[in-house]
Amino acid sequence: MNNRTSTILTALNGVICGFFFIRLFFFPQTRTVRNDVVQGILIGGGLAFVTAQIYARIKATKVNGWITIFGSGVPGNGMLFRAACAQIFPGPVNVPQEAMYWTTSGDGAGHTLSGEHDYIMHFPPGGLPPNNAFWSLTMGDAQNRFVPNPINRYSVSDRSGLVPNADGSVDIYIQNTAPAGHESNWLPAPSGKFILWLRVYMPGAAILNGEYSVPPIVEV
Amino acid sequence: MTHMEHLLLFGLIMVAAWFLVTYFWPRMMLSVYKRGILVKGGGDGPIPVNTLYTEPQALFADPLHPPASASKLMTTGVNRDTLPTIGWLDLRKGPQILHVPDMAGRYYSVQFTDPSNNTNFAYVGKRTTGTEAGDYLITGPGWKGQIPSGMPHISSPNNSVLVLGRVLVESDSDVANAYDLSKQIKLTPLSDWQPGQ
Repeated sequence: MNNRTSTILTALNGVICGFFFIRLFFFPQTRTVRNDVVQGILIGGGLAFVTAQIYARIKATKVNGWITIFGSGVPGNGMLFRAACAQIFPGPVNVPQEAMYWTTSGDGAGHTLSGEHDYIMHFPPGGLPPNNAFWSLTMGDAQNRFVPNPINRYSVSDRSGLVPNADGSVDIYIQNTAPAGHESNWLPAPSGKFILWLRVYMPGAAILNGEYSVPPIVEV
Repeated sequence: MTHMEHLLLFGLIMVAAWFLVTYFWPRMMLSVYKRGILVKGGGDGPIPVNTLYTEPQALFADPLHPPASASKLMTTGVNRDTLPTIGWLDLRKGPQILHVPDMAGRYYSVQFTDPSNNTNFAYVGKRTTGTEAGDYLITGPGWKGQIPSGMPHISSPNNSVLVLGRVLVESDSDVANAYDLSKQIKLTPLSDWQPGQ
């Protein structure tokens, strides 16, 4: 689910729950115990989703359009934080020391990523994600599925032979058609909307202490 | 009942529902994984409890065409880095021993997740235990018995455990190696264990 859809759903959910909640107090109809129970369950459950979404947004870290949450999957996490983590990464996600994940559906300027445009992700010299295992940048379509492409390349990583620039920086070309002269650094995009995943396994200290900022996706 | 009593009842039910949904959310989410593993499986039928299943090489090599019989969970999301191995433990039937082969420096991890709250209570792998071959005893809560001599012991807070292994794939031509290594990550019941096997 992308960010905007979940915002809309959360807001809708909140409005519906709020409406019934207020109606209950100001327009008391003939109430039955059955009504109390059914409405209590529905509104309580609905508000739980709203709370988890809001808490997830408070706890999530958003830098240059990239979203992550620190501290998922750690024993001892409180129930609200566990629900928030499940909002951002719905699955059995690693603890931060094992792996960090960032995702985005927008560029650094906040515009939705789409293969109608060409993008560059620029890592400054020495600015590739610090790690003791590996890092990767993986492409997904709007439904988070792999994207067919003529070179069967679904991600770029520390293992894909990226060619650095003369100054040691690294540019990744994220676009639908091959970038002439920069094929080695091409991450093929679909023709429509897409999302990106950045994975860093056994992340370095600069990531875990929050010093490292993932560079933005920039439209060219 | 007075109007006030109705409101009070409604309020109590609402707060209880809020609490239950928030508290049990991770558990509900992982019960979907449990079904995915034990009922649907990864394309070769259900994955029996206390066994591990590794994603087939062909699926990793051609991720665009997942087998129709595979659980959606196996084919949802985009991962081109690690070959996944999954399984569901039921430790009520007794402890299990996890065997991992010598990974020769290759990144791998085996994550043990408590499905009641989606937190990871233990890891075996490059970061935590290194990449040499080894055997690890996994026991459920309250287990009492003899730990095989010198074997590291992982005590699970829950009799149910989600096991998720990840073995790094270096390149397209390395998928077969990663698969071979993944298949050597194995579970054996303690009751069937023979030292030095």
